[in-house]
Amino acid sequence: MAWLSTLQTCLSLAVILFLALSTAEHTSNWAVLVSTSRFWFNYRHLANVLSLYRTVKRLGIPDSQIILMLPDDMACNPRNAFPGTVYNNADRALDLYGDNIEVDYRGYEVTVEAFIRLLTDRVGEDMPRSKRLMTDERSNILVYMTGHGGNEFLKFQDAEEISAFDLADAFEQMWEKKRYHEMLFMIDTCQANTMYSKLYSPSIIATGSSEIDQSSYSHHADADVGVAVIDRYTYYNLDFLETQVTGPGSKKTLGDLFDSYDESKIHSHPGVRYDLFPGGEQEARKRLVMDFFGNVQNVEVEDGSSGLGNGTEWREELLQLRKMIEREWRRQNASGPAVVSGVDLAVPVAQIPRSKPVGAAKVAADDGWAKQAIGVSALLGLAGVWAAGSWLEGLKG
Amino acid sequence: MVSLGMFPKAFNAPYTNDSLRSGRAWPQTRRPHPEATPYLSALCILVGVVWLLLLPLNDYSRQTYVSENALLPGQVHTYFGGSEHNIFRAYRHEVHGLADKPDEVRVAKLQEIFRSAGLKVATQKYAYETGGRSIQGENVYAVLQGPRADATEAIVLVAAWRNMDGEINHSGVALILTLARYFKRWSLWSKDIIFLIPQDSTAGPQAWVDAYHDAQAGPAVEPLSLKSGALQGAIAVDYPAGPWGHRFEKLHIHYDGIDGQLPNLDLFNTAVSIASGQMGIGCTIQRMYKHDDSYKDRLQTMLRGMVNQGLGHATGPHSSFIPYHVDAITLQTVGSGWHDEMTLGRTVESLTRSLNNLLEHLHQSFFFYLLMQANRFVSIGTYLPSAMLVAANFSITAIALWVQSGRPPKPAAKTFSTDSKDQDEQPEMTLVKEGDMTALVPASTFEIVERKLFLPVAFVCATHFLGLIPLYLFNCVSSNALYPTFLLTALLTPALPLLGAYPFATTFHPTIQHLRLIQCFSLLLLGLFLSALATLNFSLAFLVGLAAAPLSFVRPVPGKPQTALAAALALSLVCPGLLLCVVGRPWLPSEALGGLLKGAAEAWAVNHAWTLQVVVWLVWWPAWVEGAAVLAVSGFVEGD
Repeated sequence: MAWLSTLQTCLSLAVILFLALSTAEHTSNWAVLVSTSRFWFNYRHLANVLSLYRTVKRLGIPDSQIILMLPDDMACNPRNAFPGTVYNNADRALDLYGDNIEVDYRGYEVTVEAFIRLLTDRVGEDMPRSKRLMTDERSNILVYMTGHGGNEFLKFQDAEEISAFDLADAFEQMWEKKRYHEMLFMIDTCQANTMYSKLYSPSIIATGSSEIDQSSYSHHADADVGVAVIDRYTYYNLDFLETQVTGPGSKKTLGDLFDSYDESKIHSHPGVRYDLFPGGEQEARKRLVMDFFGNVQNVEVEDGSSGLGNGTEWREELLQLRKMIEREWRRQNASGPAVVSGVDLAVPVAQIPRSKPVGAAKVAADDGWAKQAIGVSALLGLAGVWAAGSWLEGLKG
Repeated sequence: MVSLGMFPKAFNAPYTNDSLRSGRAWPQTRRPHPEATPYLSALCILVGVVWLLLLPLNDYSRQTYVSENALLPGQVHTYFGGSEHNIFRAYRHEVHGLADKPDEVRVAKLQEIFRSAGLKVATQKYAYETGGRSIQGENVYAVLQGPRADATEAIVLVAAWRNMDGEINHSGVALILTLARYFKRWSLWSKDIIFLIPQDSTAGPQAWVDAYHDAQAGPAVEPLSLKSGALQGAIAVDYPAGPWGHRFEKLHIHYDGIDGQLPNLDLFNTAVSIASGQMGIGCTIQRMYKHDDSYKDRLQTMLRGMVNQGLGHATGPHSSFIPYHVDAITLQTVGSGWHDEMTLGRTVESLTRSLNNLLEHLHQSFFFYLLMQANRFVSIGTYLPSAMLVAANFSITAIALWVQSGRPPKPAAKTFSTDSKDQDEQPEMTLVKEGDMTALVPASTFEIVERKLFLPVAFVCATHFLGLIPLYLFNCVSSNALYPTFLLTALLTPALPLLGAYPFATTFHPTIQHLRLIQCFSLLLLGLFLSALATLNFSLAFLVGLAAAPLSFVRPVPGKPQTALAAALALSLVCPGLLLCVVGRPWLPSEALGGLLKGAAEAWAVNHAWTLQVVVWLVWWPAWVEGAAVLAVSGFVEGD
């Protein structure tokens, strides 16, 4: 029984390690800011994204860790009365385009495929680093999207759309590939909340501008630019970020941010999804705004003080993998409990195969003669009935 | 039902009853009832007319809306004003000073003004020959190249030197000149803007837009030396207020194009939305200056729109653009109020900014619609059935006549007289068996009568070709002779069947079947042409269909010459000529009729408008002649 006790020790160690990991802090911040619509009359979507871009840069995320996707160039559109600028307010106090903008994906490069490849890092070798999301399991990511959407889809450039399912699968791949630690998914579009309804990967906090069957509205138009310049949801997010989160030292939490949403101002019902986050609403609301919008890094020094050398890492990974496989089985068979909590880790390895996959089973060839006799008699009986029927019919005719 | 009896065999087995129930019922004896077709035809016409009358109701018409996202009507501040007003006044005096000057001086001065604004300028001479007179003039136009545009698209702003009523368009031309100078200072044009000042309101714009698309008619119309990109839209301004100005009350928006084609509804809606929403100017259409949104006013607006569409003539400088798929409207100032030229200028500015926002050709909204108010419309899906029903009535009658022409003469009526007749008069019966059924039917039902087609086909073809004569005459005689020619045609057309009936009857000895077939082919063609036309020019198809409706109910009166001739005479009231001369007298005095004819001939020669004349002379006229001929000739034909 020595091997059993060894196994138990290993398992408990792995559990401890995992719990330690899950509460570990992130070491890098990334932002993926996507506008999905082009054309002059969608000026506000690009202004939305550029506003967020400006904010995350202000709070410390460097350009090298921001992926900015702009499908159109409003600054150089001939219809722009103020060439070379993009404003998000009719007071035109702040030129979002400024002179330090790094657009990573522009024009027709902004596609569903490019977006999913970016998230999952399925890119060619020649893809420049500026177009890659080089995150790891200690990276916090802010994903912000805006454009024209509908029930469970978001339109990309009038030509294609990404569905909530595509998005959920892409995030799951990211989780499996250890591409994020925690993620804040934020979306401003019509029926935005449907876009995060299909997510199923852990450690994601999601928020959207409007419920199903609700439009997301623009905040105001600039009568000289001649178009709406910003959407309401984004406007009030920025309002909070500008006035409350004034510097990298801000201790404002996501809870504060979400509480600031005022439906009477936004004109739609913003939604927040906490259930994917370990610890649920309580934990998620405690996360700092700066954990996603800023670049506060906690450097971890690997001095071996945790008592686990690199030699045991593979065990932990193996366990994680097994956990993931088990969860997939459960999801597909829908037999086990839907929620996988950290406690499940304590399940002994030997018990895991109990949920057998449904497959082909061999038919046992027992009691051959008896069964065949029953079959023959049944056939004979049917033939008799048939003959009787024919005879009766003939009698009638 | 013609069958007199049905004796299903009694079968023991239950399944036989099933097959009887699901089987075909008496196919041999089911026949169309030509006697019922007049009622069916009348029902079609009635439903068609009632359908049209229902359209102005709230339940059937819709509020207009802008479909195209890119237009963003009225979302921009307009800055046309201030010192521009002084410039406008100065230009208006310049224009006034040119009023009595010769053409060359005018053209030179307009060119100079455009040039001084920093625009490229060109001119185009044109001349058209129609009705023995020459229409000629010279267009002046200038191109403002969008500073950051790629020169692939252009918007046209038009102010004709003389408007549709022949007045000098003082303020309109001055406004275009001022706007040219003003627009030059903006950097936000995504398209080129062309400022066009044609000499008149129909031929000039036509010559220019033809030449722009390299489709000018002959060497008399000069090609353009200066061009820009594909035209995306055109706005014409008609504001004839003299040198001292005149404050107007409303904008009267013209939207009818040549041959009843219409601009995209989005352009019209944008104009209305900017004028009324942003500038506070009321908009009217179809000369309904007082519109109280009642059913009556809506109906009247719609009917006026239909008449304009049916006529298919130019209603302003914008009309010529529409056949080239360039959406265009004319803004005409009407009444006396408190809106001045600057408000109109800002309206045009805002409208141009909206068009400037376009990313592609206007295509989102409707091209086929009837407007019953500046903000109320019905689209083709709702109104088309009415014209189709009217057209269908002719086809139904034609089919009935075809069936009837193949029937043996007498017993057709007998079969319908039922039990009250004596046994002696009972027609000879035949026992018919079809599958499990048998029936007794009159033997005559199975007689086949051969249709003699040569005479009817030849007659119908000849009459239709005969229509080329009036078509030719009305487009070639001099404009002074048009009205007399029309009177002559109006008199000769009814006389033709009346006088020709006896000679025709004695020469060709037509039978009653011949006459039925003539009418059959005639109505078949009429129904076919009108239903095809309904999709091109709904109004014309509907109006001609109504005017020709009596032809559906014409039936031969064999052996009664007096009755036949009297009936043919009565039918003359609805012949293409007399209908306008006599019945249309109260609405259409002779001068107006003369003007209409002149306009139609001019539209044919200059604007390539074809629907009205082709439909009247090659569709309606032959149909009427054939109908009247059938009636008149039948008097001299022996009955069945």
